Amino acid sequence: MKRSWIYGIVLIYTVAVFWSCSDSHQKSGLAKIQESTDTISYDMSNFAQVQDMEIAVVLSQIEELDSQFLVPTRAREISSFPCSNCHTKPLAQLKAEKIGKSAHWDISLAHANKLSMDCSTCHNMEKPDELTSLTKNSISLDHSYKQCSQCHSTQFNDWKGGAHGKRLRGWVPPRVAQTCVGCHNPHKPAFEKRWPSRLNTAKLKQEQNH
Amino acid sequence: MNQENKCGNNCACGSNGEKAAPVGDQGFSQLGDAKTSRRGALQKLTLGLLTGAGMASNSCSVVGDDIKKEKSSLQWDEFFKDNYRLMSKKEKTATVQRLERLYELNSEKKINVSSKGATENVLFGYAFNISKCQGYMDCVNACVEENNQDRSSQMQYIRIHEHKNGQINFELAEDDYFHEVPAAGHFYMGTQCYHCENPPCVEACPVGATWKEEDGIVVIDYDWCIGCRYCMAACPYDGRRFNWQEPQVPEAEVNKEQHYLGNRLRKSGVMEKCTFCIQRSRNGKNPACVEACPTGARIFGNILDPKSDIRWVLDNKKVFRLKEDLGTEPKFWYFMD
Repeated sequence: MKRSWIYGIVLIYTVAVFWSCSDSHQKSGLAKIQESTDTISYDMSNFAQVQDMEIAVVLSQIEELDSQFLVPTRAREISSFPCSNCHTKPLAQLKAEKIGKSAHWDISLAHANKLSMDCSTCHNMEKPDELTSLTKNSISLDHSYKQCSQCHSTQFNDWKGGAHGKRLRGWVPPRVAQTCVGCHNPHKPAFEKRWPSRLNTAKLKQEQNH
Repeated sequence: MNQENKCGNNCACGSNGEKAAPVGDQGFSQLGDAKTSRRGALQKLTLGLLTGAGMASNSCSVVGDDIKKEKSSLQWDEFFKDNYRLMSKKEKTATVQRLERLYELNSEKKINVSSKGATENVLFGYAFNISKCQGYMDCVNACVEENNQDRSSQMQYIRIHEHKNGQINFELAEDDYFHEVPAAGHFYMGTQCYHCENPPCVEACPVGATWKEEDGIVVIDYDWCIGCRYCMAACPYDGRRFNWQEPQVPEAEVNKEQHYLGNRLRKSGVMEKCTFCIQRSRNGKNPACVEACPTGARIFGNILDPKSDIRWVLDNKKVFRLKEDLGTEPKFWYFMD
């Protein structure tokens, strides 16, 4: 009888100890992430520095998204925009007049191959200030990502979510996402090989001294 | 406490009575009766021991230089300040102002040192896309410039490792590549401090000079660090760096937007490391490496915010961390396209 009492007390004690141990354990970082499902509202007065960064932006136009984000404007970045200032006539007519090499003659297309792409795949030949989709709908230069997304859907999905591309103006909302053409030259989109911007010269010096 | 004070008082009077003479004017009985912490008592005791000569020459000299006086008084207060974590808001502001003033007195240039705390509901996390990194090293340059790292020893927080395709083995990786990048058949992987949720470096520190902040950033109090380098040995990721000498940063290149726990100028014999650019990130900006990366391989944000980019990566990409079996829980994930 006495023994069972002792066993009972020991059992309760052990349970209590384990209980307190498991309770006092700090929540791991991962658990915190899984628990946080509520949208966070930020006190923007805390992030005045970010708000001061001036970037000309427009709201994105992505059909499948509930809440749009901001993208930098493109049209005003192009030095000779609007294109219609020079392209006053249809291209064939301009070519017939033999004006010669006046602007952007140095652009050569290194994007996909000749079978699938030429200038008119993206550029609207009738309205030079706009782009054109595969189904001949016009796309504004500010929303050129729509153009790219027609073929590069995987990259587009990653970009929409946040895994591809760059955030401008910091991590704090509102989200300002660099567009495709902000990093990739649309006529030559692949990144080029180059020398790293610095070398581990300390290591090199050490090797020279040996 | 009282006993300790009395003892301090006795010692100062007894063995160092002569040296402490200039301080005597303040009245030792007052000093002895006042309630002071151990640190305060130590400060007052040393005041007697050390500054006798210094104070005498400074304050009593006829041609006393005001700037010199101000400087030595600021340095004095700096030397005896508390651990940053124990400071009140007022004390934090005071030390930050002292640091700004000291820099101004030394170089006649103004800096801005911040003591901005963590924002609620923010836990910083980082993701690194190993299919995007091309090894350009722009991040390293940006980091060195942003964080006032020692130029003479070429201190760098970030390392970019060149791996052969098909393996992640840091012993076989090339860290000092000297050729055009990206090299065919290779991929690049950046490492830096991972700001572990369970940081072994913090456990190892014998003086409490390094800790994890509310927003998950592991920081160092450079004025509390004793330079034992236990944390460096405890870090399984080679995330920490040691100043073997006084860091050299050309005056023109000093980043003047600083944070007490971040990029303020360090001294010889203390640890330092990546702080997720605390001076930037706490103001909503991205760390310098994220901003500098030309490939968009680096993603930073609040992992508690379900709408953040970083959360999208964690939710939708196959992510992994290094040495997960150690249970350090780094807040730094790698992923592929």
